[in-house]
Amino acid sequence: MRTDFVRIYKSVHTWTGILTGMALFIAFYAGALTVFKEPLARWVAPPAEMRPVTLADAPQLIARTLAEHPDSARDFTLHLHDAEHLPARLGWQLRPADGDDHDESGVRHFAATLDEGGAVQVNEYRPSELPGFIDTLHRVVGLPFDTDPNRWVMGVVAALYALALISGVVVLLPSLVKDFFALRVGRNLKRMWLDAHNVVGIVSLPFHVVMALTAAVFAFHDGIYALQDQLLHDGKWGSAFQRPKPSAAAAQRDPAAMLTPQALVDKAMVFAPGFVPSMLQYQQVTGPRAVVRVWGKDEAAVSPRARGGFLAIDPYSGKVMSSDFLPGRQSTGNLVISSFFALHMAAFGGSAVQWMYFVLGLAGAWLFYSGNLLWVETRRRKQTREMPEAPVQRRDTRLMAAATVGVCLGCICGISLAMVGGKWLYALAGPAVDATRLLYYAAFFACIGWAFLVGAARSVVPLLWLACGLTLAIPLTSLSGALLPASGLWAHASWASLGVDLTALAGAVALAIMARVTARRIAAGRPDSVWSVPASTTAPVATANQS
Amino acid sequence: MADKLPPIRRDWVSKSLAGFLLGAVLAFAASALFNVLSADLPMSVRGQLAMWLVPPVWLGALGGVYFFASGLRAWLWLGGASALLLGLLLALRLS
Repeated sequence: MRTDFVRIYKSVHTWTGILTGMALFIAFYAGALTVFKEPLARWVAPPAEMRPVTLADAPQLIARTLAEHPDSARDFTLHLHDAEHLPARLGWQLRPADGDDHDESGVRHFAATLDEGGAVQVNEYRPSELPGFIDTLHRVVGLPFDTDPNRWVMGVVAALYALALISGVVVLLPSLVKDFFALRVGRNLKRMWLDAHNVVGIVSLPFHVVMALTAAVFAFHDGIYALQDQLLHDGKWGSAFQRPKPSAAAAQRDPAAMLTPQALVDKAMVFAPGFVPSMLQYQQVTGPRAVVRVWGKDEAAVSPRARGGFLAIDPYSGKVMSSDFLPGRQSTGNLVISSFFALHMAAFGGSAVQWMYFVLGLAGAWLFYSGNLLWVETRRRKQTREMPEAPVQRRDTRLMAAATVGVCLGCICGISLAMVGGKWLYALAGPAVDATRLLYYAAFFACIGWAFLVGAARSVVPLLWLACGLTLAIPLTSLSGALLPASGLWAHASWASLGVDLTALAGAVALAIMARVTARRIAAGRPDSVWSVPASTTAPVATANQS
Repeated sequence: MADKLPPIRRDWVSKSLAGFLLGAVLAFAASALFNVLSADLPMSVRGQLAMWLVPPVWLGALGGVYFFASGLRAWLWLGGASALLLGLLLALRLS
């Protein structure tokens, strides 16, 4: 490859990388956690207070709920398994008519159960905003709400990220064979970071290509569809998903005549062995278009959505209406489309793949952090032997180092604080207060502000310790709940919930190690760096001839 | 040997614009061609695949455009490819 190309693409890589690195750090850190959105929801959910109902009693529960709350008939869900974040077996949501599809803030949640006498008992409840908010952070690179303009910001970031990937590969290709297996650990720290940046980037390249392209699609698909509707489909795109009109204009149907949930589950499992149903979503059951979606997962197949896929059954006749979204039973075309979603959302292969995506997501976050460090290091003013004192570093590198430290560690601190604070606030003030966003942004902006105030070198170690402490508080909060139930705190014993605690513990240990190593680096490193603390103005000149 | 070749012109603005604008034309033309050639697929599947085709082609053009020796060449090659695709589409539609 001509060196001209390498030089040109190096400029592309530098600019696209430095413009998007910090936004992508947030997207990948929050995205890695979003892989475990359900365990997070279970961890943060308060203990259930509603009476459990067996699956055998579910037909009664459905019939009576529909009779007393007709607005649930449009779309309600029957859960087949118990989990901490599901307050009762039956639940439904009411969305504001003018709300955005992705905006969860105006949604009202209801849960229904039967009391001892068999009467319906309905509670409106507010699930914690935490899991949805972490998801939103990753969807719109740290912005607070998942709206159209914010998604376009994400789309531009994703497009620049795609350019950074292409240009990064072009820059590395000529020396790939030489550099790939080389991790030159040694005195030349920049070489070592560059080697590590390259090896992580190349090894996880397929993952990053998938993420860049799917993120661009998720951001811009509405616009592309609208344009293609005019150019390709003669304005008929909207009709592609319309179901055929029901043959007979059937009158109101009696939901008591529906098959039982158990019978519907059995039908689905006979239709697709290996499919493990998790919930039944009933839609318009009192009208002519009644349908039940049997949602579930099949670890041996590709799931079209993050929560799995579904088989659509007529709840009155038991006839299978559509297997277009059933894992393992999709047509080739639908499977190809589903695989794009599954590859982004780790919706295949079960929990092993989820852990792999978690690690790849964190490695991605590190990739962007290291990219920013390399940008700073490349612009370093070195001390030469003739200089009695270390030169003042460039203003832009000092600011970029402070921003990198503040944004990245601010995001980690903010998420940990939102998790811990949400649980404590619930224990102290009840469900009325949900300060998830407030806590996150307070920590996030405080970290950034402080990093700019005192500089990268002075703020990075305390901020790492702060992140370590806040993350350690996650399992400690659960421990407090287990030991002192009178405090109002709680701890769940399911593996999903304990997994959150244990992962946070491991994260806290990792952050503590980083804090110690960074402190050593700052104490022992050369003074001609944004990472040195110039308090020791009597820096020995002897260190200058070290490299 | 390398120094005998003419230098690669930077032409940041004209190359980037070529990649952005003609990349879009290429991407939508490619999706239209796919749409015409796979008419036997159900419309819902065909339309979704056609949508998924747009960003890879567009971003591929935007990422590869800096390999052209100059901005002018980028416009000529990408413009030529776009014209070819659009002509093919027109021919398919008329036939």
